[in-house]
Amino acid sequence: MVSLTGPFEGLFGDRRRVGLFVVAVLALAVVPYTTTRFVTNIFFNGLVFVLLGVSWNLIAGYTGQISLGHHAFFGLGAFVSAWLTTPMRAGLPESIQSPVLVAVAAAAIVAGLLALVLGPILFRLTGHYFAIGTLAVAAIIQLVLLDQRQFSGGATGYYVSNELEPDVVFLLMLVATVACILVTYAIVNSRAGLGMRAIHDDEDAASSLGINPLRYKMFAFIVASMMAGIAGGFYAQFWLYVNPDSTLAVSWMVDTLVVVVLGGMGSMAGPLLGGALFVALDEGLRQIAGEFAPVIEGALIITFIIYAPGGLYKLLADRFGDAESPAVDEDATTDQSGAE
Amino acid sequence: MVATDLVVQSLLNGLLLGGIYAVAALGLSLVFGIMDIVNLAHGHMLMVGAYVAITLFTAFGLTPIVGMVVAFVVLFVLGMALQRVVLKRVVGEGMEQPIIVLFGLALMLQSIGRIVVGSDAQATDIGIPGNPVSIGEITLSFPRLVTFVLSLALILGTWAFLKYTTTGLAIRATAQNNAAAQYMGIDTANIYVLTLGIGTGLAGAAGALLSMLFPITPFVGWSYLLKAFAVVVLGGVGSVPGTLIGGLILGVSENVGVLYLGGGFRDIISFTIFVLVLLVRPHGLFGNSGGGE
Repeated sequence: MVSLTGPFEGLFGDRRRVGLFVVAVLALAVVPYTTTRFVTNIFFNGLVFVLLGVSWNLIAGYTGQISLGHHAFFGLGAFVSAWLTTPMRAGLPESIQSPVLVAVAAAAIVAGLLALVLGPILFRLTGHYFAIGTLAVAAIIQLVLLDQRQFSGGATGYYVSNELEPDVVFLLMLVATVACILVTYAIVNSRAGLGMRAIHDDEDAASSLGINPLRYKMFAFIVASMMAGIAGGFYAQFWLYVNPDSTLAVSWMVDTLVVVVLGGMGSMAGPLLGGALFVALDEGLRQIAGEFAPVIEGALIITFIIYAPGGLYKLLADRFGDAESPAVDEDATTDQSGAE
Repeated sequence: MVATDLVVQSLLNGLLLGGIYAVAALGLSLVFGIMDIVNLAHGHMLMVGAYVAITLFTAFGLTPIVGMVVAFVVLFVLGMALQRVVLKRVVGEGMEQPIIVLFGLALMLQSIGRIVVGSDAQATDIGIPGNPVSIGEITLSFPRLVTFVLSLALILGTWAFLKYTTTGLAIRATAQNNAAAQYMGIDTANIYVLTLGIGTGLAGAAGALLSMLFPITPFVGWSYLLKAFAVVVLGGVGSVPGTLIGGLILGVSENVGVLYLGGGFRDIISFTIFVLVLLVRPHGLFGNSGGGE
């Protein structure tokens, strides 16, 4: 049984951190107006990675369910929002044409509904079977969309248009990301969050203590999928292009993993640090290493898992004497709190 | 309506293809059964094996059968190194670590593949000469027959190795009870190294066999991983005869399914079978224990 070590642990552990967070958000808000489009693009991708990381961390880092199908919800969200702002290209009736915000909300809802339908099936599986099962389901979704050319543009993809300036889409994405971080934070520090961590540590024990594992897993899965849908929804509206080959590709899953593993799995700050590091890395590596960048990313994942399993967050926390490490994979933390 | 002889033809072709699927799955199944690790890079290792065979054929004119042996050896060494250098450090740390490490390795292999050979599909038909064999209206291509026989040989060889050699006995003992095996004087750490070597070596051999029939790109890894896992689920984790049966079932279902649904559905069919089987039996058709243990 785990218990809270304090309601304000993690990212918002003290005023200093809240301050840092607010400053970072404000700095990001002026990016489109003070820098070039090139820089804005990079920061936009950073927000996408952070949101994907934060949401995947909820289901994998906190609840312990290693889903390898997160990219399907991202890709589907992108397509749903593309269909709604640009229905004619997919042969859909013009009457469903919607503003960006409605389209992204729909993306979140569709992703959530899909999770609602798939969850009971996938959560019959545990451990390895769950991981591979989610990978397979995501592959099926991609293949079906690839096959349905009229809706997906087939291999060439499909151009999107909307009524907003890219700068505005950037700001909307920033607001959505901050909102999702706050929601995730609230969940993690609520009763539901406790249940999730208990399932992560020992599902059978949690179950014997009266926690219904399926309920908590479903909750985390649906919320995480909706957030991935939002990320995909804005992604389509910012880049104005979707393609079943790349938008639904497993490489998004890889990127998400890199973000969370580098940052620190099961910690609130992890995906934020990881997202920032990954963007710098991705851009920097592409300049230096060119097409070798993914090779280095893969090597980094492996190195971090072996030598710094707590990620960048844990490294920083240790270095600067931060005792509030909420990394859930640390038995010591949970054992101590369990003894209280 | 599809003509009957076409169905029979697809069925036979599916059986022949199923043999290769069984080889592709065998290594995954053994590693899963013995070490409780799902090698997420298995499909990508298969891809590497395919390119080893293709390169040996196009650059040196070596027959694919030689290619298969070399691919086995190359991947055998790679797998042993992987266990010795990387995986042994993360095993027992929980399920996430090995999964993530192998996911990272898959990414590396795919990217290296793309850099080395480019994104285009490699020409197949890497020359097994021979006329198709005709039985009435049915014709079976010679390469398919050859690859099927080779597949059976590999499966039989693996089975005999596990059943009749002392090392095979040690592997089975380790799978059953690691601690007890250690008390009996078995160096289980080395057994793991060997097991992963055999598992990945079989992936390499399967890749070489597949390269004789199908185009290969650096991106086929995920698809073959899922197919191999479907076979494992159909046949039961760690079971050699089960894997053969699972492979044949998958090969036939795919080939006959494609006849009715179209070629775009090949992978959809096998992945759907996989998910459906898991739905009925969450630990696989013949599995009885949880995956997380």
